[in-house]
Amino acid sequence: MRRFVFLILLVFAVIFILAPVYLMVKISLSPPAEILREHPSLGMEGITFKHWSTILSAGQIWAPLRKSLTVAVMSVVLSLLLGIPGAYALSRLPFKLSSAILLFIFLSRMIPEIEIALPISITFIRIGLLDTDLGLTLAHALRILPIVTWILVSSFKTIPRDLEDAAFVDGCGKVRSLLTIMVPLALPGIAVAAIFGFLGSWDEFTYAVYLAIAKKTLPLVVYYYINRASFFLASAYATVITIPVIIVTYSLQKYLKAEYLAGAVKS
Amino acid sequence: MRRYSTEIIFLFPLLAYLLGFTLIPIGHATILAFSDPWSGAFPSLASFENIFGHFQFKEAVFNTLFITVVGLSLELVLGLGLALLLLERFRGRKFFRALMLLPLGIPTIVVASNMRYLFDTNGFLNEVLYRLGMIEVPLNWMGGGIQTLFSLVVADMWKVTPLVMLILLAGLESIPREVLEAAEIDGASYARRLRFILLPLLKPFITMALIIRGIDAFRIFELPLALTGQTVRVMATYSFFEYREFGNVHTSAASAAILMVMILIAIGVYLKVVKQREIMA
Repeated sequence: MRRFVFLILLVFAVIFILAPVYLMVKISLSPPAEILREHPSLGMEGITFKHWSTILSAGQIWAPLRKSLTVAVMSVVLSLLLGIPGAYALSRLPFKLSSAILLFIFLSRMIPEIEIALPISITFIRIGLLDTDLGLTLAHALRILPIVTWILVSSFKTIPRDLEDAAFVDGCGKVRSLLTIMVPLALPGIAVAAIFGFLGSWDEFTYAVYLAIAKKTLPLVVYYYINRASFFLASAYATVITIPVIIVTYSLQKYLKAEYLAGAVKS
Repeated sequence: MRRYSTEIIFLFPLLAYLLGFTLIPIGHATILAFSDPWSGAFPSLASFENIFGHFQFKEAVFNTLFITVVGLSLELVLGLGLALLLLERFRGRKFFRALMLLPLGIPTIVVASNMRYLFDTNGFLNEVLYRLGMIEVPLNWMGGGIQTLFSLVVADMWKVTPLVMLILLAGLESIPREVLEAAEIDGASYARRLRFILLPLLKPFITMALIIRGIDAFRIFELPLALTGQTVRVMATYSFFEYREFGNVHTSAASAAILMVMILIAIGVYLKVVKQREIMA
């Protein structure tokens, strides 16, 4: 009996999780006649690639795709430039001080984004950064810096200090040690930080809706089609955004620690 | 301090960037919120008086609180349920755990797109309910009112319950199995074990999940913007529409400032809890 209840609950949980994702794929592949009628079909009937060929062949996707990719890459580069020296310093500072700074960095993410996005969009209008790749990059770097820094600090911490101390004895300075010893050793961690940073920019919406008007990123295109109740194109674009995120989320699952998501800075 | 001079130089750009892009905008927004929209006089409470007179603002505050309270309660129950399911030992447990985390990998705007169809008048949910014989005519989920708020809660729940589940599962897994097995041998029923052993031991994790999620729920923006637009506004989307649709930066900043204060209070509570945990540890 207990086993039976357990199984039923498990099935319900799986349906709850999968239904919306199933719908996304289904709609992006359904002929409009199956969806836009009084009683739409529930299963996959009459699969069509029409919507996909629309977004690919009409060339609508390239401009937003280019903008999303450019901004994501640029904001990752910027956040690594700021984050690598910063995280290295944090991994070397006394524990109490560094954990206080990390907590502050973490808390900065909890500020409502609209409180930041509103004034910077007003400033960006004035200085000509609104609707530019650079403007959005600056905002996205702000969003991804906490997770990038956090991953970098924990990967620098795993590198034994003795390695570096030996270099110091040989007369190597801290800057050189960072560049020639620490960065190469921390490369896997830097790669993970870069990937999570990339995703943080790739699916970002709030700053984008304030800072990009005519030149949209992919999430804004989805928003545009949702507003027009154009399920097919919204779903097709939504699938494009989702695929890389899911691949990365699952392949890097072990780095997705509950502690970070929950914000408790680990001691 | 001299010992760390290089570290401080290394840290400076990072902190300068984060502080600069946080404190300067907040200062700017605060000045906007307290400036008179017409004369520019500062300080002035005109914008606050203005929005307190808007029934849309009161609605937005109510909606935000409703989504927070109802959403958090449901997420906690569901998250605990899922965590308890995954605590059972069964074949494929790892696979199901990975499956339950799927929503964490779905961008929020994509969730909105999926839910927009799910809750459409001719959408998936109405069709399922119709075929199950539970409704005759389609329900208007997105037209406003309490059912729209519930739809928003469900959409948000779908995205974030796995996070609550992860936090609670971490808590459950930290409870030694012997404790539970001992209670089971002593003949305590599942409900009693849950009530008297699991929940008390889980309390710090529940508190943590509530605060983290509470802060996010206050700020909820993408889902209400994309799903209900101006039909059902929350505080963040109210602020957005004041700016984008009505071009009023002052009322927009004033409502953002109120949201900011609510969140600062929540962060204060969070810090207090974290501190208590450190003392306990």
